[in-house]
Amino acid sequence: MMEDKVKTLQKEFLNVFEKLEVVLGWEPGYDSLHATPSFIREAEDLNKLVWNPLCSQNLCTYLVKTLNVRVRENDKKIGICVKGCDSRSLVALIQEKFVPREALYIVGIPCEGTVDWRRLMRFEPSLKDVQKLHIQGPELAVETAQKTYRFPLQHVLEQRCLHCRYPNPIIYDGLAGEPVTPRVGDDQVYGDVEKIEQYSLPDRLKFWEKELDRCIRCYACRNACPLCICRDSCIAETRTPKWLAQRCDLKEKFFYHMIHAMHLAGRCTECGECERVCPVEIPVTLIKKKLNQIVKELLDYEAGIDPQKQPPLLTFDPSEKGI
Amino acid sequence: MVNSKEESTTKKDLLIVGFLCNWCSYGGADTAGVCRFHQPTDLRIIRIPCTGRMDPLFVIKALIYGADGVLVSGCHPKDCHYNEGNFYARRRLEVLKQFLPFMGIHADRFRYTWVSSSEGQLWQQVVTEFSETIHGLGSNPGVQGESDAKAMISFF
Repeated sequence: MMEDKVKTLQKEFLNVFEKLEVVLGWEPGYDSLHATPSFIREAEDLNKLVWNPLCSQNLCTYLVKTLNVRVRENDKKIGICVKGCDSRSLVALIQEKFVPREALYIVGIPCEGTVDWRRLMRFEPSLKDVQKLHIQGPELAVETAQKTYRFPLQHVLEQRCLHCRYPNPIIYDGLAGEPVTPRVGDDQVYGDVEKIEQYSLPDRLKFWEKELDRCIRCYACRNACPLCICRDSCIAETRTPKWLAQRCDLKEKFFYHMIHAMHLAGRCTECGECERVCPVEIPVTLIKKKLNQIVKELLDYEAGIDPQKQPPLLTFDPSEKGI
Repeated sequence: MVNSKEESTTKKDLLIVGFLCNWCSYGGADTAGVCRFHQPTDLRIIRIPCTGRMDPLFVIKALIYGADGVLVSGCHPKDCHYNEGNFYARRRLEVLKQFLPFMGIHADRFRYTWVSSSEGQLWQQVVTEFSETIHGLGSNPGVQGESDAKAMISFF
């Protein structure tokens, strides 16, 4: 089943390979619990491509940070694999005109969730020599040299996947695999946000002070974010104007995360990359989710769904009432 | 006059930062001053060209670093000197206002309002109300929970 998907994926790209500049996908990583992004320029390398629950990276980040995506004279495109969540980031990038749609060849992959290896190892610390892993119904099957483990998905999947409403790609040129049904209904999406809101105001502050105090300001969350595109002009690093000091203080950490959140208000597609790359496991996505909830209720907008729409905080409506 | 002196000695001054748009609210505050309306003394005014210039991060930074309240005021919607500045502003500021409590900051510490330059009376009312709310909430400690990292540094 999984192998079929990989085959279709490779075939999708092979059929049009002479029209492609480079293909972005995943290949096996440095150990059996990692996949790593792969940039494929030769047709024979296409068989390196893999698809499994470890392919968690959002490749859209590379479109704005590493590659120069533009419509080329020779009409060559950039091929990219997207999961459901990644495709929303792609829609947002197209909306804001960071990448032209015509310059991309998108292969969508309906996704049943990706595995957070840190949670997996915490759940089963003795796990080693993993050979294969795949999702079967409500379980993750992990085959090692000795035996086959079965883990309940809510303990090993990434947080973003547990609340995922868009497992199927929104835009694509080719689709690898059959569409899957979302794991949660619309009413359960903000469950984790509501959990925080049950705390009293001082307790919420204490919660965030405790969480954000771990931050080492490595800026990995910013770098992995497909929509954080200021690069060298990021106000977390500029000295004129000086928004943040280099001081190691909770105020600075707190404010850094506020910058990241406010700059993504109404734009964040909840791909969860910020949380995935965080070395100290701060629930950063939660902050952005709250902002998304507000934007949804106030301005009736969800990021990364409709390429024709404009993010609501980048525009206005004079007839608006109630604010 | 005697009254206000008594008030200022018994009531501790808090720090309220006011961001006022150059064309309406700043004029409104001026009108209130020219008309000698009695106003609380907690407010420190920063003049901005338009509420469209108002970055929500101004508010957040002030509140994190211990300002007791932040008041933003501009032209009434549809009266903006630049036509559309406050249309952008009201979306951003409303999102911000709803977002602050999630991070544990009281939403009442921040308020945005529209006052035109002829409305000195309204300005006096807005400032007095807001100042009373902030006095009711007391001083804002900002974000300052015990930082483990800082404790480590002072240890070495």
